[in-house]
Amino acid sequence: MSIYLPIAELSINIILLLSIGGVVGFLSGMFGLGGGFLMTPILIFMGIPTNVAVATSANQIVASSISGTIGYWRQGLVDFKMGGVLLFGSFFGSILGVWIFSKLVVLGQIDTVISILYFALLTSIGLIMLIESSKVIRDRVRRKTVKKKIHYHNWAHKLPFKMKFYKSKLYISAIPPIIIGFVIGILSATMGIGGTFILIPAMIYFLGMPTSKVIGTSLFQIIFVTALVTLLHATTTFAVDAVLAFFLIIASVIGAQLGVLAANKLRGEEIRALLAIIVLGVATKIALDLLVEPNEIFNISVIRALL
Amino acid sequence: MNLKIFLFIKLLVLFFISSASALVIGSDEEEIYIDANFSGKNLLVFGSFFSDPSQARDSKSDILIEVVGPTEDVIIRKKESFFGFWLNSKSVGFNDVPGFYYLSSTNEISNEFLNENNIGLLNKKDTQLIDWSALNIDWGNIKNEKEKNSFYDALIRTKESEDVYRRVNGEIDIIDGNLFRSYIEIPNTVPVGQYEVNLYLIIDNIISNEYSYNFMVTRVGIEEAIYSLSKNYPLIYGLISLLIAILIGWSGAEVFKRFRKV
Repeated sequence: MSIYLPIAELSINIILLLSIGGVVGFLSGMFGLGGGFLMTPILIFMGIPTNVAVATSANQIVASSISGTIGYWRQGLVDFKMGGVLLFGSFFGSILGVWIFSKLVVLGQIDTVISILYFALLTSIGLIMLIESSKVIRDRVRRKTVKKKIHYHNWAHKLPFKMKFYKSKLYISAIPPIIIGFVIGILSATMGIGGTFILIPAMIYFLGMPTSKVIGTSLFQIIFVTALVTLLHATTTFAVDAVLAFFLIIASVIGAQLGVLAANKLRGEEIRALLAIIVLGVATKIALDLLVEPNEIFNISVIRALL
Repeated sequence: MNLKIFLFIKLLVLFFISSASALVIGSDEEEIYIDANFSGKNLLVFGSFFSDPSQARDSKSDILIEVVGPTEDVIIRKKESFFGFWLNSKSVGFNDVPGFYYLSSTNEISNEFLNENNIGLLNKKDTQLIDWSALNIDWGNIKNEKEKNSFYDALIRTKESEDVYRRVNGEIDIIDGNLFRSYIEIPNTVPVGQYEVNLYLIIDNIISNEYSYNFMVTRVGIEEAIYSLSKNYPLIYGLISLLIAILIGWSGAEVFKRFRKV
């Protein structure tokens, strides 16, 4: 049973679409990821044109992150104030990101630049998280109690414009979250992802936010970033496929809810270790694509009229 | 299927009214509709070798069917190794390349014959289907003929792997010695627009008669509505896409609230 996708201009099996949406949605709910960094490569692998894959997964991430946010919000795990400050930075970052994206398209190097960016970011983040979380797990197994400081002071405390984030039990400058949000905005617009896999470690390690609040808060801000990216793609590249998005959304929303339930049954360190392994897996795949001689060294792209 | 009966009658009538001319064509479709269930289509092309039914086809007469799809502009990029990384380097822009090309014959037709008769988009090199001289090509800084050919080959190879370029023979059924019939597979990735069908009757290596007609591939129904909304009112389309995402995302969370005890 297949369905014709009007913007991608090809037909695809519905069961396959629903499975992909479901699995990516599950991971997104479990880890608080947008899932774009998995969804986009899978769609491209299935033969969906790159621009359609990027734009449509942004649209899909809006739905799964709304669904996920509501789940965490009910458990009181969303810091709306922190989300708002991040978003302020993201708004400007997205605009810069779209500008960079269009420059790279003109140069014909968008795919390569994105691959290298993905690889560098995923590898470093994956390794950091894996080392950190395995240390915590190892200490726990040895029945060592690690004293946790409620407040630890780093450079984020020395900057001006300090704000109180009651939910996260933080009193830090607004500048670091705005900068983080700005970087996420650039990455969202250029890489077509939510950016949670960068946002989460940044919030934990740079801002010192409690892990429990980080996932819900990042999902909350991802809603708005991906919504903006969706609108930008719909109006500039015309690449949002509503039919493709519809099936992915249905499946991913169900998957995301199951993922949130599964996350409650796991400890923070295990979730982080698992996320680190997935991140490293994707990084390895990207590295192989860059390093192994491809079977077909030529690739074709159809130029679509952009009004 | 009334159309088929009509065309068959048309064919019979043509047999009798035009006794002299050869090659009579019937066709299945004037239009191929792409709707939500579209997963490709077999296009039927049929007709007769000779208008006089008593004149049976002999081994020296062949039918050649050519289908040319609407043109599109493409860019071919070549990956090269830079310090171990395979990166896009050189690129060539091919303008007005057919989005679909199909060539079928009863028996194998030589490239020389196609060259001589300047049929369709053929040639330059034996394996290639496109008449490069008709294309507007942006070579960038590539000057080497051999390198240019590698880009030609890559275009054909890529299109063939997508099943939109095909060259076959022996896929035309011949019935009662005079009628022919062929199903042409139109894959689900074909571009929309006007397609041209060219038929040639070849007797003793000479084109004795030819016939052309067009058909359209168009989107209909919800597919057309979505496509035209996305092109004509992109902001509204984007907002609707967002609204759908918001509604499904939200209602998903509401539905699952019942199952969760938090």
